[in-house]
Amino acid sequence: MTVETSVTPASPSPPPRRSFLVEAAAVAAGAVVALAPLGAGLAFLADPLLRRRPTMQGASADGYLPVATLAELPSDGTPLRFSIIADKVDAWNLFKKQTVGTVYLRQIAGQVIAFNDTCPHLGCKVDYKAADKSYFCPCHASSFNLDGGQTNRIPPRGMDALDTRVTDGTIWVKYQNFQRGTEAKTPVT
Amino acid sequence: MNVLFNWLDSRTGHRRILHDALFEPIPGGARWRYVWGSTLVFVFVTQMVTGFFLWTAYSPSTLTAWESVSYIQNEMKYGWLVRGIHHFAAQAMMILLGLHFMQVVIDGAYRAPREVNFWLGLVLMQIVLGLSLTGYLLPWDQKGYYATQVATNIVGVTPIVGPHVQQLVQGGAGYGHHTLTRFFALHAGLLPALLIVALAAHIAVFRRHGITVPKKFLAQPAAMFWPDQILRDAIACLAVLATILFFVVYKGAELSSPADPAEAYSAARPEWYFLFLFQFLKFEEIDRMGLAVGAIYIPGAIMGVIALMPIVGRWKLGHRFNVAFTFGLLLGAGYLTVLALKEDGANPDYRAAVAEAHRDGVRAVQLAKDLGVPAGGALSLLKEDPLTQGPRLFARNCAGCHRFHGHDGTERLVVETKGDEHNKVTTPVAPTASDLGDFGTKDWTKRVLLDFHDVFQPLTNVKLEDGTSVGDRFLAGDMAAWSKDNKETLSKPENADSLAALIEFLAWQSGRKDLGEIDQAKAEAGQKVFQSGELASGALTSACTDCHTMKLQGAEEALSENLGAGVPSLTGYAGADWLKQFILNPGHAEFYGDNNAMPGFERRMSDKDLDLLVRWMVGDYHAAPKAH
Repeated sequence: MTVETSVTPASPSPPPRRSFLVEAAAVAAGAVVALAPLGAGLAFLADPLLRRRPTMQGASADGYLPVATLAELPSDGTPLRFSIIADKVDAWNLFKKQTVGTVYLRQIAGQVIAFNDTCPHLGCKVDYKAADKSYFCPCHASSFNLDGGQTNRIPPRGMDALDTRVTDGTIWVKYQNFQRGTEAKTPVT
Repeated sequence: MNVLFNWLDSRTGHRRILHDALFEPIPGGARWRYVWGSTLVFVFVTQMVTGFFLWTAYSPSTLTAWESVSYIQNEMKYGWLVRGIHHFAAQAMMILLGLHFMQVVIDGAYRAPREVNFWLGLVLMQIVLGLSLTGYLLPWDQKGYYATQVATNIVGVTPIVGPHVQQLVQGGAGYGHHTLTRFFALHAGLLPALLIVALAAHIAVFRRHGITVPKKFLAQPAAMFWPDQILRDAIACLAVLATILFFVVYKGAELSSPADPAEAYSAARPEWYFLFLFQFLKFEEIDRMGLAVGAIYIPGAIMGVIALMPIVGRWKLGHRFNVAFTFGLLLGAGYLTVLALKEDGANPDYRAAVAEAHRDGVRAVQLAKDLGVPAGGALSLLKEDPLTQGPRLFARNCAGCHRFHGHDGTERLVVETKGDEHNKVTTPVAPTASDLGDFGTKDWTKRVLLDFHDVFQPLTNVKLEDGTSVGDRFLAGDMAAWSKDNKETLSKPENADSLAALIEFLAWQSGRKDLGEIDQAKAEAGQKVFQSGELASGALTSACTDCHTMKLQGAEEALSENLGAGVPSLTGYAGADWLKQFILNPGHAEFYGDNNAMPGFERRMSDKDLDLLVRWMVGDYHAAPKAH
């Protein structure tokens, strides 16, 4: 099969002299004017990557927030869900005392264990099913045992444990979110 | 590579298209005078590009528009650059539009067969004006808000349909969320789409007829659009870009304070390219004919004459008329613009309003940045800010008698105007009460002690019916006499420490945070002076406690009670609580008693306003932005 290409008409006479210099200068100047606004715009669009901003305020210097008291937790290790209250930063806005996230807290022999209740699979909120004594994600059926270990192959890792400390009966949690869908537990900052 | 291009060409015929686009011969050769249309296309594309990126960060609602624009401008990386380009390119477009129009008229490029293209150009001009008008409102700052009010109200006086169209555009009876969403939909949606369609038609028709070459160039050899003319076009675009960037870097896109429907803005002016129309509407003769005549019929008639140019221009004389009309318009608009700028420059009220809006804008940005914007928007930050509201409250409630560093708190002089409208004489009004610019500072206390007479001298300007003045009560009173008697002793170099200690003591007791760190030992030494009158060298004629009430902060028992009604209490003197109680009831026995001539503000001011005023006067607010 022959390739049919369009025919370009011959240049009108007399053919004007085209110099390489003129062409190069035209291309260069054209490229600058075309790309300058685009470049500025793309750099602007990259703002979230160029400048990390906190999403909340009010935590201690090392990132802990008071969440609950020991007295609120059942001693048999049953997990309870608690809200993390902090000042929420959203671009220009600062909303005082908002729920910035929720966590499960368990008490076992005086030790407190905290889980971020966001599913490490794709970020839905994981429910606790008391009847099965397990965590279950309603989105894609990820399930976890009481210790946060995965009980099926759907999630890439176990539930994300959070650092905690207890002072004078108050439970402090270092609330963090982690990259979802990966085997490694990488904090999202 | 060639195989690939051949494949593509067989499907699209792109070589032919490209060839047609680039290798158009230009009779008479490439020329600089043909660049204006290309620069306009360039600026429009720049606006599309920067506009898209701004769109990714802009939030159109009355509670988020200013906030998101301020965030773009001051917080986001390169936001100042993208918004700056968009802002100044919009203005460049107006100038280029004018130049392109002039070139078309002078060269007679509207003549047959190019009439339709001329009209398409006029349509494009209207769309660009619409883009500029709608874009001006989007930052939702005082400037854009009040300037656009004028425009929508002009729409409202259009006969018959006016009020309906106005409400349709505004999205209701007044400005609100839907004004912004509608203006934004026009600005980023409908108008650019219309512009693209009209521009495509404009360029297509232009290519059909080719460039209008003035006769004198026709004898010269032809050149190709590529690369000769494109090089010139690109260099012109480069110059336009450089000019825009110059303004972005050295001037920056302005953002005045957040729009406030409750706050009059006496510096409301349209953007400079509409100033001539603004000035035109200010003429008494025009005003008398009604707004619809000045703002709709006359501009409409002018547009009508312009639209008829291709027909009028068929005759030689007609073409000359068109050129003369264009220059006449430009000269008239230029004259009106200069007149408007001159009038504003000579108007102190205007300049004060501009300065105030600028201060508010800087302050709003600072508060938004430092404190974060609450759900009520940045305006609520300004409304609760003593530094912003205090001066206004002072001007409204106090500047009738008092001054603040010589002005009314908002940096406007207190003046009165006499004479008729054409022969105004403006003179400053003498204050009738003390200047409170440094009230309660250490310097103030020092002046009250040493130069009592000077501080309260303005009171002599209040003449009473019996021929005396309020000043007599104060300047012939005990404190005035005390100040006179003790000035020499207190001014002795060896008593400098005692005086400073006394002042430190009062500063400590005021509880004010704006007076610097309190030197505790010094303040306690000052308390001894306060109570005993003993100085390093000699003694005061009487101690402060001999006359004034004083209860130390946190103490149960008062150090002293006042001698009689009308001697002001010094308990927490010049502090927030003292000042608040004083303003509420200055004639109270604890303050000036019967000597008082100042009205009490018990029912004249809301608690909130009083609080803002007092907090401003005692320096209790988020630190002011650093002057630069």
